[in-house]
Amino acid sequence: MVTLDLAKLDVRAANERIRAAGAAGEDVEVVNPDARHHIGVGLIHPINVHVRGSAGYFCAGLSDQASFEVENNVGWGLGDNMYSGSVVVGGNAGAIPGVAIRGAEIVVRGNMGSRAGQVMKAGTLCCAGNANFMAGYMMYGGRIVILGDSGERVGEDMTGGEIFVAGKVSELGSDAQLTDTAAEEIDEIREFLDRYGVSFKGGFQKIVNAGKKLRYATSERQMRSIPFFTFSGNSSYWNPKVQEDLYIKSQIGRYRIRGYGGARPLPHLSDLAFKKDLSDAGRVVDVVSKIDMYTEIGGINGANPLQLSMPVMIAPMSYGALSASTKRAVGLASSLAGIAENTGEGGMSNAQRDAATQLIFQMLGGRLGWNIHDMNRADGLEIYISQGAKPGLGGQLMAKKVTPELARIRGIPAGIDLRSPSRHPDILGADDLVIKVEELREATGYRLPVSVKLGAGRVRDDIKIAVKDGFDFIELDGMQGSTGAGSAEVIDYVGTPTLSAIIEALDALESIGRRQDIQIVLMGGIRDGVDAVKALALGADAVAFGTSAIIAGGCIACMQCHVGQCVTGIATQDPEHEARYDPEAEAKNIHRFLEGVRWQIAALTEALGYSSVRGLNRDDLVAVTPEAASITGLEYAPQYRVRGAGLEVRTA
Amino acid sequence: MSVYDINRILVPDAPPEYEDHAGQPNYVPAPCQVACPIGTDAPSYIGYIWEGNFDAAFEAITATNPFSSICGRVCDAPCEPACRRTDSDGPLQIRNLKRFVMDKLGATWEPTPVPVTQQQTVAIVGAGPAGLTAAQELADAGYEVHVHEMTDRAGGMMIWGIPAFRLPPGIIQEDVRRLERRCPGLHIHLNSALGRDVTLEELKQKHDAVLLTIGSWWGKPMGIPGEEDEHVVDGVGFLRRVNDGERPELPASVVVVGGGDVAMDACRAALRLPGCENVKVIYRRGPEEIPARKIELEGAVKEGIEFIYHTQQVAVESNGNGLVLSCVNTEPGEPDEDGRRRPVEVAGSEHTIECGMVIAAVGQQGECAELEQRDMMAADRVRTDWDSMRTDDPKVFAAGDGAFGGSTIVMAMHHGQRAAYYVKAFLQGNQNPLPYRTPYRTRRVPVAQDIMWEKFPPQHPQFFGVGENPTEFPEIESTYDWETARVEASRCYRCDAETGSPDYSVQHREDIFSMARTNPLDHAKLRGMLHKRLRIRENPFPEQRPANLDDLVFLPANLSRLVIDPYREACNVAFRLAGKLSLSHPFMVTGFDRAPHAVRASVAAGTSDADAYYLGYERPSDTAKWLQLIPAGATRPPDPVAAGAVFMYDGNTVFAPGRAMRTQVTGFGVSSMDLLPRAIDASLAQDLDFLLIDGSGGVAGDWPELTHTPSLEMLRETVSILRGLNREEAFDLIYFGGVRSGTDAAKLIGMGANALVLGAAIGFAVGGVMTGQGLQFGSDYTEEDRASATVNVIKASVGEASMMARCMGKTNLHNVEPEDLRAVTLATAKASGIPLVGRQA
Repeated sequence: MVTLDLAKLDVRAANERIRAAGAAGEDVEVVNPDARHHIGVGLIHPINVHVRGSAGYFCAGLSDQASFEVENNVGWGLGDNMYSGSVVVGGNAGAIPGVAIRGAEIVVRGNMGSRAGQVMKAGTLCCAGNANFMAGYMMYGGRIVILGDSGERVGEDMTGGEIFVAGKVSELGSDAQLTDTAAEEIDEIREFLDRYGVSFKGGFQKIVNAGKKLRYATSERQMRSIPFFTFSGNSSYWNPKVQEDLYIKSQIGRYRIRGYGGARPLPHLSDLAFKKDLSDAGRVVDVVSKIDMYTEIGGINGANPLQLSMPVMIAPMSYGALSASTKRAVGLASSLAGIAENTGEGGMSNAQRDAATQLIFQMLGGRLGWNIHDMNRADGLEIYISQGAKPGLGGQLMAKKVTPELARIRGIPAGIDLRSPSRHPDILGADDLVIKVEELREATGYRLPVSVKLGAGRVRDDIKIAVKDGFDFIELDGMQGSTGAGSAEVIDYVGTPTLSAIIEALDALESIGRRQDIQIVLMGGIRDGVDAVKALALGADAVAFGTSAIIAGGCIACMQCHVGQCVTGIATQDPEHEARYDPEAEAKNIHRFLEGVRWQIAALTEALGYSSVRGLNRDDLVAVTPEAASITGLEYAPQYRVRGAGLEVRTA
Repeated sequence: MSVYDINRILVPDAPPEYEDHAGQPNYVPAPCQVACPIGTDAPSYIGYIWEGNFDAAFEAITATNPFSSICGRVCDAPCEPACRRTDSDGPLQIRNLKRFVMDKLGATWEPTPVPVTQQQTVAIVGAGPAGLTAAQELADAGYEVHVHEMTDRAGGMMIWGIPAFRLPPGIIQEDVRRLERRCPGLHIHLNSALGRDVTLEELKQKHDAVLLTIGSWWGKPMGIPGEEDEHVVDGVGFLRRVNDGERPELPASVVVVGGGDVAMDACRAALRLPGCENVKVIYRRGPEEIPARKIELEGAVKEGIEFIYHTQQVAVESNGNGLVLSCVNTEPGEPDEDGRRRPVEVAGSEHTIECGMVIAAVGQQGECAELEQRDMMAADRVRTDWDSMRTDDPKVFAAGDGAFGGSTIVMAMHHGQRAAYYVKAFLQGNQNPLPYRTPYRTRRVPVAQDIMWEKFPPQHPQFFGVGENPTEFPEIESTYDWETARVEASRCYRCDAETGSPDYSVQHREDIFSMARTNPLDHAKLRGMLHKRLRIRENPFPEQRPANLDDLVFLPANLSRLVIDPYREACNVAFRLAGKLSLSHPFMVTGFDRAPHAVRASVAAGTSDADAYYLGYERPSDTAKWLQLIPAGATRPPDPVAAGAVFMYDGNTVFAPGRAMRTQVTGFGVSSMDLLPRAIDASLAQDLDFLLIDGSGGVAGDWPELTHTPSLEMLRETVSILRGLNREEAFDLIYFGGVRSGTDAAKLIGMGANALVLGAAIGFAVGGVMTGQGLQFGSDYTEEDRASATVNVIKASVGEASMMARCMGKTNLHNVEPEDLRAVTLATAKASGIPLVGRQA
């Protein structure tokens, strides 16, 4: 038995000692816990941890196989995301106990706070007292046992799993219903209670999903794309796209869903030009070897940075939206090009991990596929707040794509229209977020960069929070970013353009004098080395390619990703369709595209007179539309639109 | 242009007289079109087939191809391996689709004749695909053309080289007839051989230019001992006899030497002839290298022909009853100059094959004694410069197999077009024409809308093989029926069509494709791509673009506005107008007062079902919730059954509109910016409940939204005036004009509106079609359809509006504020008063 005194040790040191004890097979006793946060997070060995007192947030979180006993009370997020193992709390638990657990057993002898078991996937959460409101909120599986009263809106929007309430069921949540209990279920609960020494003799009411919201009633008729120019520029107000939208909506009675990026033109990097005459650009044959492009991202606070051979990454895209083969191709290409790949929502498969030498692991509100083991084998951790394509809204994965395999990784029932939560259970504001970031760092020993993925909106405010909450970098995603499925209206009308996002981010950081305290990876409609160089010149530290990498790997931009029967085998989980995709061949294509990007970045950097991409700056650019000039504050110089005729203008 | 070469990145200029769209924005020729030597606009005709517009498909097919019926059956179809769907579940069956159209229309089509308009005339020697294609091009340009053909029929190798089971003679006649009808200035002189019936000197004297398309008519010898034996024949000679109608008795066993298309036709023809029991093909390389088109090879295999690969003939001799062909095995050696691995003989592998006949199909050659005499031949071809298609004689041009060696029909046609281009330049005295390139034209056909397009597998016609009476050479396969053709057509990716995404437009997509297929060491291509990508796009917001709701975006809740998940539809949308009239959502309906009765009734039913108010002069049904619209100048009080009334304000109105009942709500409606301040004053003075802002300019008229861009200024100005007076809460604002969706509604609510009126949006939803007179309603909708469409559009709008609010972290739609919005264009920022994104002024 190792005794750790938190009056003498800080939590970071204590957690290192607990992990070492776990690895060595020794049990631990924590004295003077002082309700500190993150006690025992990240444990992956069988170990008994006895906390003599009260624990703060996320006690026992992100662990597997450990058994905890906490004598008094715990703060919120008890047992966050635990796999196997157990926690017994002698007193009360704060909000969201058992959040996102995937198999653990959690017993709270007192009362528990609101949203108990939110987005849990498996395991048992038991409370001997009363639960507060919305117990079982959005749970996907597992069992909640409440010996006291249920609290309001119990089972709100639960998808799977069961809630047993011995006391009063005060109010059922949306899409929840009461159902009969089977004798063997009660026997199992009693066996569980006996095991934890909870004496109880009464009966239970059982609450399950009512199944009213899991699938859309009518399916949307799929239409192939109308050319964008028919509904932009000077096209008519009631253009063919408006009419088609009205027609479809008149059939289905709800908003349309589609995949891909924005359908409407927006002010973009394309509206900027380089000041210098670049007609010589690319004349130097081996320009790639002459320009310093190596970039480290994520190391500013001491974590091991991502090491990028050029300031480029792959944007987060999930296995789910994309087929396993496509993720493999993208991963292989990222390795060949010496850049980083990102899991997106929905977990990390072995195939993804094997394909990509540097892989960022993304955590979303549904905690789909999130777990300590994959965190440990990631090269970076990312908290998704929103994405450019559909900020403020959760992910949508249509039933056709929710295969048993995918459901297993994500820990959800197969065959539902999966609408991921748009908010994190344990991030309701900037103050929670800073503690969440700390939990991730604690659980992985401060080795990994922690980033935030953010769709552009109130960028000025958001980035100040991101920097104050200690993120190593931000993946800032303009509204031109794409998605596998989202509301067509949200894709087109929620969020702000990539061009303004970077400007607003930099302005805000400058205003608080913190530019050096966070790195910015810009994404959302960045398509080639030319866009990349403009983004870098505006002030981004790196850029990320999503859609363009997918196109390089065979996507034909038909915008039917959401249908799930992608003709090229990219945005599909149908084995017959996936078989159409040759990951090895497409990895080579994507790699060649990335090498083309590298060459373009090098050629432009050289032609602009620099030996390193870090030389690029705002003075290299002008704006050629009034909008771009107003958005960026760059000189409005429409004469640069015409290259050939620009020679005289440029010297004037 | 090869599919991904630099010409696709930096498109060379096309001759101005050519119809060509390759350099235009929103268009990049599809891989199939680029792979076609004559630039056939396959995507367009495939699109037309799906639409059932066969005439237009026919036009697209035949525009550059005088031998479309022939090509529909026997083109080697380089488009198909280029098809992007090849990598998925198999290429579009482009040739079969062409055949489908030609079988439908080819025999009866009457082309419009192109008159002769030029003084100069051109002579062409040889009526094969190169010569006749050139003839059509020249005739189209107005020249009189005289074609001299040594045989008794036009068609060249198409008629003499391809057996009837693949290409029935009637098909060739069909194309030739159409060509002759189209070109009255085209004169084909049959049985007129160069050197025998006419001399080059005569042609040069009579005409202003001469084009030699003499073909590659004679089989090459194998160059092995014993091939003079009478049982050894050359492939093209053999096919010529058969195609002339002969059906000679063959020995039981036949060996064909070679792996090209002639070998395929020869072996399959032999198999059908009397006496022949088995046919073997020997080829010196492997099955991967065999040049025969895949479909011919498969056909031959299906018919029972045996292929012996890696086998080289070395000698042939007679053994009394038949032949003994001595062979050796080969293995792949070092690559030769064309990149293929040279077959190397394997020592000790000598063996023999016995047979009754050997058909040598190892290549063809051109021959012409007269040209030989004039020293115009280089070995077996007319000496010709590819860049000008000229021979050594400045007035004489050459093209086709006879100039550049054996190739395909479609390549010969390309030669004909290319030669005609340079002949025309010569005739017009243009010394330095732009280098020829195939023109790429698009007809911008809408994309097929079959939801199964991603799933349908390739549709194959029925294969008949040799048939019941092989010697009659019945056709080997069927043509599509309409249903099958349509399925196949729907499979097309339509690589030519513009995408629905401006950021990943067809140009961008193709550039990314090209980058993904560029060797990192291919400096020229990398540089070409960089310079193309440096080009600046057109301003997507041209000066003339008015302020538009589309150019407002919402600011989502992120880190700064986190709240507990407003999951799914949990957002309050109800509203009490003026604190009196309970609206379960902010949408009303208007505009159907003068619509046909049935339409008005069904929209009224749907409006009621959706629990929405109808705004109009008359109550559309006995149960409708109705806000009465009262024209300017009228002074009568509202109908007691109305929930309220909107008095249209004309500036002269000084009355206080009365209320029939205390529960009724009352307000003015104002349709112009000029009247707005006074209408606001009047509303305030009379303490009215609401103001209807008519951004359409004429809510009282018929479908005003269709002809006016909605005014955002009026809403902004109203809010601004009320704010200036510190009376923002004095009355509610109802907005009408161009509301198309819940998104538009949420934006307008953000700008200050409390309720929105849908007009044209409902009109379109219930099947309205825009005409010069507003919306017209057809008979393809039932009343139930229209009622449910009305309900659905209102429901969808409510859903969309609440979704927008939820994205912003709101739990009540009416909490959307101007601060939740940004403009992305200056015009919209100005009109709406919403700031532009980006750097703040």
